[in-house]
Amino acid sequence: MEKIKHLFGRAGFGLAPAEWPTLKEQTLAAAVDELFSKVGQTASPLILPEIVSEEGVKMLSEEEKQAARKLNQERLWAVNADWVRRMASSENPLLERMTLFWHGHFACKSNTGRMAVQQLNVLRQHALGSFRELLLGIARDPSMIRYLNNQQNKKEQPNENFARELMELFTIGRGHYSENDIKEAARAFTGWSSNLQGEYVFRSRQHDDGRKTFMGKTGAFNGTDIIDILLEQKQTAAFIVRRIYRYFVNEKVDEDIVADLSRRFYESDYHIGQLMRYIFESDWFYAPANLGVKIKSPVELLAGMIRSMDMQFPQNHSILFLERALGQVLFNPPNVAGWPGSRTWIDNSTLMLRLNLAGLFFKVADIAFDLKEEPETTKLAMNQLDVSVNLASFYQLCQGKSQLEQFDLLAEVLLQKSPVFLKELAQKNQRLSGDDFIKLSVMQLCSLPEFQMC
Amino acid sequence: MNRRNFLKNSALASSSLLVPTFLHALPGGKGSRTEKILVVIQLSGGNDGLNTLIPFRNDLYYQNRPRLAVPAMEVLDLNGELGLNPAMASIRHLYDQGEMCLINSVGYPNPDRSHFRSMDIWQSGSGSSEYWSSGWLGRYLDSDCLACEKPYHLLEFSDQLSMAVKGEQRNGFAMSDPKKMKRSVDNPFLTSLSQRQHEADHDDHVAYLYKVLIDTQYSAQYLLDQSKVYASSVSYPNTPFGRDLKQMAELITADSDIKVYYVSLGGFDTHANQRGRQDRLLQQYAEGLSAFVQDLKKNNLFQDTLILTFSEFGRRVQQNASGGTDHGTANNVFLMGGSLKKAGSYNTAPDLMTLDNGDLLYQVDFRQVYATILEKWLNADASLILRGEFAPMSWV
Repeated sequence: MEKIKHLFGRAGFGLAPAEWPTLKEQTLAAAVDELFSKVGQTASPLILPEIVSEEGVKMLSEEEKQAARKLNQERLWAVNADWVRRMASSENPLLERMTLFWHGHFACKSNTGRMAVQQLNVLRQHALGSFRELLLGIARDPSMIRYLNNQQNKKEQPNENFARELMELFTIGRGHYSENDIKEAARAFTGWSSNLQGEYVFRSRQHDDGRKTFMGKTGAFNGTDIIDILLEQKQTAAFIVRRIYRYFVNEKVDEDIVADLSRRFYESDYHIGQLMRYIFESDWFYAPANLGVKIKSPVELLAGMIRSMDMQFPQNHSILFLERALGQVLFNPPNVAGWPGSRTWIDNSTLMLRLNLAGLFFKVADIAFDLKEEPETTKLAMNQLDVSVNLASFYQLCQGKSQLEQFDLLAEVLLQKSPVFLKELAQKNQRLSGDDFIKLSVMQLCSLPEFQMC
Repeated sequence: MNRRNFLKNSALASSSLLVPTFLHALPGGKGSRTEKILVVIQLSGGNDGLNTLIPFRNDLYYQNRPRLAVPAMEVLDLNGELGLNPAMASIRHLYDQGEMCLINSVGYPNPDRSHFRSMDIWQSGSGSSEYWSSGWLGRYLDSDCLACEKPYHLLEFSDQLSMAVKGEQRNGFAMSDPKKMKRSVDNPFLTSLSQRQHEADHDDHVAYLYKVLIDTQYSAQYLLDQSKVYASSVSYPNTPFGRDLKQMAELITADSDIKVYYVSLGGFDTHANQRGRQDRLLQQYAEGLSAFVQDLKKNNLFQDTLILTFSEFGRRVQQNASGGTDHGTANNVFLMGGSLKKAGSYNTAPDLMTLDNGDLLYQVDFRQVYATILEKWLNADASLILRGEFAPMSWV
């Protein structure tokens, strides 16, 4: 039971009370099967928002530019908020969780809603498929091309930014390539560009087709060749597996397990789905040392709360407000290295907000929170927070049970690990009756530091 | 269930069970200040330095900014070459009294013109091709400075903590108002949690969350108490920035155990109609500071205080078509304090002739400014904190 909870906490966004009675009776193998049942079906691409032409933007007045910026921002917010809602309600939570992982790995700021969706479609299509295809997709992704200045990477004047991050952050890791490898790889990616409509284009006149020497090999390499040479290096499998292990299993790495996983990943030709399935089917994944030891990221926390408490955010900006206040705005990572995660999510301000979040959603917390003013960003205020909670499925779950049983059941759904004083909390709440008892208990359980963990 | 009932019902009798020592609040007793204080003021959005500290004898300034230049007649002449924007008249006397040092053309190699990225670089103290997730003042806390284990030792006036004050091990403390802060921690349920028994494991993230919770509760109480010690009678501008500075002066005067104060003033991204907007902001800045300095001087504290003002970048030399300026590079940095070793203009005015694609070239690396503050004012190991060697300067 604890194991199934762990599986859904890590491979998805936690549990909804309605699914718990069935899930907890399942075998672990059946639960893994169900999680993977939709893998292999092509993820249906999300619909692209319209193009906002960048042509002639320079001709606009400052007021017109601001109006265009605002419209664009609203579209980007819609893509962002819809993704959070999808994480919370998806029939295929593994796909969303894996996509979120890759978004952090290929950290990239998107400038328009359309470009954000384009990138999201690449991540979704290959999230559990071939890492090679994923890399090729990202190397041709207009958002990434712009973020890492590859549209300025031309034969006469190479820009090394993409080549550098491809090696340092996306594939093989620091210490396994030379400065010369970066220079040569940058030449191979010259001409991989994007047009004004935000589409990928290969500009052959800007491409350098000369011979390059990269990682000991020589040839007239293009970007695809560079990626293939990187994938030939076992270190690339090791680097990716370590990232995956730290995200899905434990920040403290078990070197033997990672070595074994790396070998398997390499031998499977970098098949992500197979690797993930192997991890979730391994006994060590469910070892006590791996349970409830990860701090949820702000988006994971939000998606989980929306899922379990059937929450509605009619306004996109409410979700954006919370992402900003808690410190994780999708499509806007702090830099190309992504969100550092773990304890960096926590400071006095974010922790108090996290612990007061349930109270805020139940409209009982007495907190006010002003976001920092940011240039080029519309101001968002807490008093515009528009949210509703629906506990019907919790009431349903608790029907016909004693209060102490109810409390245990609620803790079971909401917490991976309970504090030692859990029993006392239940007793204190017993002065309330019926739904009030359940409501207060849910709110308290969500206000525990333990609730921040998965 | 209404709010009152919720609070009543969730209030738990404080059962004082065994609490592992590492979860106890910080050592009690009234902490008090040791030695020097640093105040950092961040002007967000990219303040136009050329219209702040104006090279009013330079024809190129007027040629590049026919609509935007401040007429030489109006400029507050400081040294015959540079002068302050007239909106800053209220702090001109600090210059005359040798309590202001101006450093021109501060920047870094390969400057980035994005607000977010350049602010990250200034706050973390990294180079433009490095990505760090901690700030220079946060790493000062990490370096085990005296009393650094207290989170409020580095206090930011905001509900959100800036990267500048986040370390690898320790963080500064965010608070916009002590009463508001206290309300957010006075949730009886959360209060009860800190008094309960926990499984003690130092490495555990859960234990860390409890520790931050308890530190926050303790710090909120400390800051509220300290905010009541001294009520300033100086009149500050009635703006958020003015209120922040007033609270700051009150905490300093109360001899609080706070070493570094961090505060921001935003709105400097003046792409259009810059003159009026920037002047209003500079006036807020100057009038706030003028009151603050007056307050500190009254209590004989200005000689223990150093105030650094910076922005993520300056703006382009040439005005744009909308009566504003676009994102630029190097900028001036202001230092104020009662015990500067070198006051006045530290280096020559920016060179408006030799530009990089229309932008100023930097002369002083911003990390030299940080190194000077860390080594000479905070008595810390600058090369450790900045992860490299940057030659300190001689203004303190």
